[in-house]
Amino acid sequence: MYILTLAAGSAQQTDGSREILKLVAGYLFCGIAGIAGIIVLWKMANGEINLSRLVSEPNGDASMSRFQFLVFTFVIALSLFFVIFATNGFPVIPGTVLSLLGISSSSYLVSKGIQFSDPNGVQDRAVEVMITPAQATLHVGQTQQFKAEVPRKPDAALKWEVIHGYGKIDPARGLYTADLTQGPAAGAGAPPTPQFPLHATIQVTADEDPELVDLAVVTISA
Amino acid sequence: MQELAVLIKWEVQIFILALVGLIAIKLLTGEINTDGLLFGRISGRPTKNNQNQYFSPERVQLLFFTIAAGFYYLQLVLNNPSSGTLPDIPQILPVTVGGSNAIYLAGKAYARWLGSSANKNK
Repeated sequence: MYILTLAAGSAQQTDGSREILKLVAGYLFCGIAGIAGIIVLWKMANGEINLSRLVSEPNGDASMSRFQFLVFTFVIALSLFFVIFATNGFPVIPGTVLSLLGISSSSYLVSKGIQFSDPNGVQDRAVEVMITPAQATLHVGQTQQFKAEVPRKPDAALKWEVIHGYGKIDPARGLYTADLTQGPAAGAGAPPTPQFPLHATIQVTADEDPELVDLAVVTISA
Repeated sequence: MQELAVLIKWEVQIFILALVGLIAIKLLTGEINTDGLLFGRISGRPTKNNQNQYFSPERVQLLFFTIAAGFYYLQLVLNNPSSGTLPDIPQILPVTVGGSNAIYLAGKAYARWLGSSANKNK
């Protein structure tokens, strides 16, 4: 009898130790998962985990299929959050909700298939510089502000110059003036009898990459 | 054990909320690239200066139906979060979203294959 009591007591102690061990392991896992979550969120916030192409295709364009997938995933995640918060239990997920996710996934897969059938759909697009306006018509003495955009490198330093014809341009700001005494064609000065219309070719170049070039044409009238 | 379950619940919920908030902010501030979201590209046309890009009505309608479906479902959940189950959605919603996706994919396929053929015929 004494031995049975001892054995029962020992078994209870073992169960108790096991419970404590489970609790400790549970809290430890929670702690590690929590710290990992904080680290991931912090890295996402400061850019170390780069989310800039979260909804982009390999060629750099934003993808509607990926965006839809993102929206539906977060809608369902938030819905789960609200229901679990209210009921303290994991809810049943209806088949119609799963079908919505299925439609989004299938659409994404088909969209990817269409995209990958075109080589331009999988290659990252080359960095380009785009000048606006591409053409301008000015009278002598008038000015035109040109702008250049480098979508893939918004901070690119640009240099402006008149490579042909008449006029001068601010190399940093891109402000062109239709001055017949300036420009590669001016030579010794303004032409004595200008044959209008005259022309000028404006070039913008990225400092870091001389191959990044775009041109604009100015037509100068009297 | 009860406290541990509560702790796990709060951890997951805070993580999901923080993640959703972070991504929403990055989308609104432009840190997540959304260039060309509403534009398609036609195969066979020059890519320089986005000459092959076109404003895509099929993407606009997909965006509209996606956001509308998302908000509709969230309001269903918020109206009755205590039911113990995610709310069922009317059959018309998956049909509508499916149709919207079909229109989007048809437009994408047209730009990929028929747009290319039209370009060759010019």
